[in-house]
Amino acid sequence: MEVVILRSAKEGQLPMKILIVEDEPKTGAYLRQGLIEAGFVVDLARNGPDGLHLALGGTYDLAILDVMMPGMSGWEVLQAIRHEGLQVPAMFLTARDQVEDRVKGLELGADDYLVKPFSFAELLARVRTIVRRGRSGTESTTLQVADLQLDLLRRRVTRDGKRLNLTAKEFGLLELLMRRQGEVLPRSLIASQVWDMNFDSDTNVIEVAMRRLRVKIDDDHQFKLIQTVRGMGYVLEAPEGR
Amino acid sequence: MFRRLSLTSRLTIFFIALASSVILGLALLFMLEADRHFVDLDSAALDDKKHLVKGILASSRSREEASSRLNEALNHHHGLYVLVKGPQGEKLYQTNGYSGPTTQASFITTEDGHELQSWTNGGREFHEMSFTAGMVQGAAGPLQVSIAVDTQHHQEFMRELRRSIAIYAVLAILLSGFLAWFAAHQGMSPLRAMKRRAAAVTGQQLQERMPEDAVPIEMADLARELNEMLGRLQNDFQQLSDFAADLAHEFRTPISNLLTQTQVTLSTQRDLKTYQDTLASNAEELQRLARVVSDMLLLAKTERGVDLPHKESFSAAQEARELVEFYEAVADEKRILMSVEGDGRIYGDRLMFRRAVSNLLSNALRHAPVGGVVSVRIESSAREIGVTVENTGKEIPPDVLPRLFDRFYRADSARRHPASDGAGLGLSITKAIVEAHGGAVSATSDREWTRFRLVFPERRSKAEATA
Repeated sequence: MEVVILRSAKEGQLPMKILIVEDEPKTGAYLRQGLIEAGFVVDLARNGPDGLHLALGGTYDLAILDVMMPGMSGWEVLQAIRHEGLQVPAMFLTARDQVEDRVKGLELGADDYLVKPFSFAELLARVRTIVRRGRSGTESTTLQVADLQLDLLRRRVTRDGKRLNLTAKEFGLLELLMRRQGEVLPRSLIASQVWDMNFDSDTNVIEVAMRRLRVKIDDDHQFKLIQTVRGMGYVLEAPEGR
Repeated sequence: MFRRLSLTSRLTIFFIALASSVILGLALLFMLEADRHFVDLDSAALDDKKHLVKGILASSRSREEASSRLNEALNHHHGLYVLVKGPQGEKLYQTNGYSGPTTQASFITTEDGHELQSWTNGGREFHEMSFTAGMVQGAAGPLQVSIAVDTQHHQEFMRELRRSIAIYAVLAILLSGFLAWFAAHQGMSPLRAMKRRAAAVTGQQLQERMPEDAVPIEMADLARELNEMLGRLQNDFQQLSDFAADLAHEFRTPISNLLTQTQVTLSTQRDLKTYQDTLASNAEELQRLARVVSDMLLLAKTERGVDLPHKESFSAAQEARELVEFYEAVADEKRILMSVEGDGRIYGDRLMFRRAVSNLLSNALRHAPVGGVVSVRIESSAREIGVTVENTGKEIPPDVLPRLFDRFYRADSARRHPASDGAGLGLSITKAIVEAHGGAVSATSDREWTRFRLVFPERRSKAEATA
């Protein structure tokens, strides 16, 4: 099995800066390590006041805040940040899933809300979704990865010049994978983005859909573009050196 | 104050009041009747004497003769007094010891039409009858005659009677009070028995029941209702503790697997690929555990009946079609034909509805044979919207059907592949979601089809209702 490394941000761009405020030592350390390996620059604060201090002192592309912290909660940190007029995007992590909490998070202007236990792949995918919003690149009408080309306007997909027949949902799935090439996409994110199913199904729908897509994309080719990352999700990327 | 009195005290007080009023009323009536009877007796006696006196006066030739005859006639009548006055008011005859009234006389009319006067002298009460009589000789006109009788012996009798009645009344009231207390106390004994039973009920002793047959009919209903309540509680309690046990069990196996796998891997140097495989396998298992946890939380939240936060009116068919599209790939793999028929508008939480139907669809797809059929039928009436998810496949035994919605229940006890199988919570989540919408779920199965039916009450949103 090929080792898949969570790829860093594209070359030529400044690395994204992320602030993590998390009092649980293990969670904080692993999040930091994971995000650094994914190509982000990460600062970690162990409590609310330190986090606020860092947030006010530096320019971050995203703040990841744990809600339940002794002394100063994640809500209060974000409130204080907003009070100072900083519009840094924020994501909350919480062990409690209460509707009131979600509403409160949205009122405070949080961009996302993740309930523990969450998978790191999920967190990473959501982090990338948020930081991407900040950087609106020029929208191109075709997506290209190696010899795979997707034409958004004519809704056509070709690989090595040969036209591939995809269903509407397969097209959507491929578009997502190509737009986020090199990123490991967890099943839940795929279900949510392609089918608008915002919950886990207890069936292997995504596996089956991916398998069928791979038959069409990769079966006749030596270089497989779509890879399964066990325990995490799927990634589409050009083989090394191509 | 009265509110806090015990039922026994209340009943006792009530009975005492009842007995007192009855006994005292009777006594009063009796005394009045006796009194009147004595007046009548007096009146008859006086009338009798009136004729005697009249006769003597009429047949006496002189005052002296009249006096001596009157003395003779009245001598034996103790307590009888006669006063005879002449036409000018002069006293012609007076019985010894007689002195007139010292108090104002009152008039009594007896039942036989006589008029009596009642007055007292020296603490003694007299009844007097007055009339006029003629004397043949020695008088120049009609004589005024008054006959009075001393009622002392009647009064004494009445006093005696009053005393006896009073003693009787007091004793009777006391006795009836005691009997009332005893009866009330006895009557309440089933309640005390129920109280003792209730005191014995604890979380561990929920099988205790109220004595339905041993209590009077009036309380049997209460006992029955209480027993049914206990039954329901026992059931829920059992489910809850089973649930906790199931949950622990559900976690024990995967956690044990994770631990073993991790420790075995760590026990010696291995190549990179083995480490990666172990971690990946751990990640899969952990993801499954994480899903069980979130499913459990969702279930707990939904069953607790939290109000659905995002209610809107949506088309059931539209949602079903999107779900069918989602499951298309899986259906294709098994060459299963999927369809959606009918439509209806449901007012509720769209995401929750999706989830409920999604669980049914994935269940149906899992159990339909290759080349089978899975269809969603939606019918809408004025009162409710029915959503039926049906699939071809093996018949589910009738005894299993109701258990399908139990948490962690798996119709086939042998575990399937963990990745494709849920924790056995899907159908219970569906049930909880539908019930949170005020609806109901049911399952039927025959040789050809297995059907899950969700019924949602027709409830138009406020916006629609006012529009």
